[in-house]
Amino acid sequence: MTKTILIIVFALLLGAWYLSFLASRLDRLHHRVETSWEHLDALLQRRAAIALEISHFAAIDPATSFLLTAAAYQAREANIIERSDAESALSETLKLIRTEEMAATTASESDILAGLVRITEKIAVGITIHTEAVNTARNLRSQFLFRTFRLAGHAPLPMRYAFEDDIL
Amino acid sequence: MKELNIGLVCPYGWDTPGGVQIHIKELAEWLISHGHRVSVLAPVTDEEALSEPWLVSAGRPIPIPYNGAVARVIFGPLASSRVKQWIAQGDFDLLHLHEPAIPSLSLLAGWAGEGAMVATFHASISRHKTMNVIGNGLNPFVERITAKIAVSETARQTLKNRFETEAVVIPNGINLRKFENSPAKAEWVSPNTIGFIGRFEEPRKGLQVLIDAIPEIIKSKPDLKILVAGPGDFEDFAKKIPDHILRHITYVGRLSEEDKGKFFKSIALYVAPNTGGESFGIILAEAMSCRTPIVASDLPAFTALLDDGKSGALFRNEDSGDLAKKIVTLLDAETNRSAVAQAGYEKAMTFDWDVVGSQILSVYELALVGNDRVRLSSDNRFWNRLRSND
Repeated sequence: MTKTILIIVFALLLGAWYLSFLASRLDRLHHRVETSWEHLDALLQRRAAIALEISHFAAIDPATSFLLTAAAYQAREANIIERSDAESALSETLKLIRTEEMAATTASESDILAGLVRITEKIAVGITIHTEAVNTARNLRSQFLFRTFRLAGHAPLPMRYAFEDDIL
Repeated sequence: MKELNIGLVCPYGWDTPGGVQIHIKELAEWLISHGHRVSVLAPVTDEEALSEPWLVSAGRPIPIPYNGAVARVIFGPLASSRVKQWIAQGDFDLLHLHEPAIPSLSLLAGWAGEGAMVATFHASISRHKTMNVIGNGLNPFVERITAKIAVSETARQTLKNRFETEAVVIPNGINLRKFENSPAKAEWVSPNTIGFIGRFEEPRKGLQVLIDAIPEIIKSKPDLKILVAGPGDFEDFAKKIPDHILRHITYVGRLSEEDKGKFFKSIALYVAPNTGGESFGIILAEAMSCRTPIVASDLPAFTALLDDGKSGALFRNEDSGDLAKKIVTLLDAETNRSAVAQAGYEKAMTFDWDVVGSQILSVYELALVGNDRVRLSSDNRFWNRLRSND
């Protein structure tokens, strides 16, 4: 009799340990979703700022300058729902300026262009890390044990942003 | 970027030559030259012979057969405690694990550590069923890694199939200046010299494919010379080769880095007849940086590296007849050969360490966001926390 009770207690403890292991896995992912988004957000904001600076370049024609300014402002002001569309639009507009053709009118301008190249690279990495975290977290949350025991707690469901593959 | 304290983990024996080891060594040197602090943990056979001050030994590696080759790795309780000690004393900002999905030091370090972790996946692994089973068990581990790097598109695809996880593609870096001033070595130079470097005894390195092509090539190039370099017992290997073929082959032993440059500068063509298991082909890129024209098997990794044949010629994998044809064509056409070599050189330039290193640094930067210093994950267990609060 005591043996059975012991086995049951042990099994319960093991089960509890496993659930807490699962919960900490999910918690780590939620944390990563948040931090990676904050960082990506900051990078995108910096890109918008760079786009605004480029729109003031002497070598840029007025039409391109107008498009660039509008896209940069939209990306900055967009709310969560419009955000990914606005950022994709800014990427498209930035593609209009061929970095090679623009080659260095002044030293400070070429610095800004080099900055754009660097930040574009970082954004690509940031998007990969963020979408990865979001997908894994959502994937885990949809699994049986995670749903049944509500291991996600009160954490909101990570949002998927529709960053297109060719965003940059 | 502020100065970082980075812990690199090498899964394979440090004193056995290999692409992963060289990549880690050069990454460490590049990071140090850019003002960061680096410590590399690796299995080491001969601890007396270590020359790098930043290298920490985790013990002697054990050879195990893996992915069609012999991997010299280390695991077990002793290695595990060394890993923990290294992490506890290192006070790292970030851990960079190499090839963590095989039973090795990197896997141990990934389990023992908690914090910013970057992992680089080098291999493209054939999809064995057993591998998939192991893959599922490793999911919680793969999740812990903040950012993943694949060294090629094929490696990224392998990762995606095995773990359903996304990685950033950053190629292996090459120190292009390393071979820049290497001179040719007179005794190796002759118009129809072909080079091969690798562990020739391993079937997947494909030397046999090249040997089978010799009878066809010597019909039009009777002065053909094949230089074979790499570690192994060549005398034993040569026993199987008939004499009239063997006299076209010269074994030059295992090459030092310095001799490798001379080797590439001396030969007319470099041949990579590998039959599989390659995910990048760093040796090809090194040859390309010396403006040596390439003939390689059409493995996905090589096809990608050689831009579908623009930066080097491709032949049908394991087809000696096709290989012979491609070699003869290239040896005959001097202008075509130098055009291919030039295209190869330009392609190789994109793998220069300054390009690759700064890409890796931006991954570090993103992995660091929201993470404190690397701690032991066991410090974080609640009973340990209770104890430390006493």
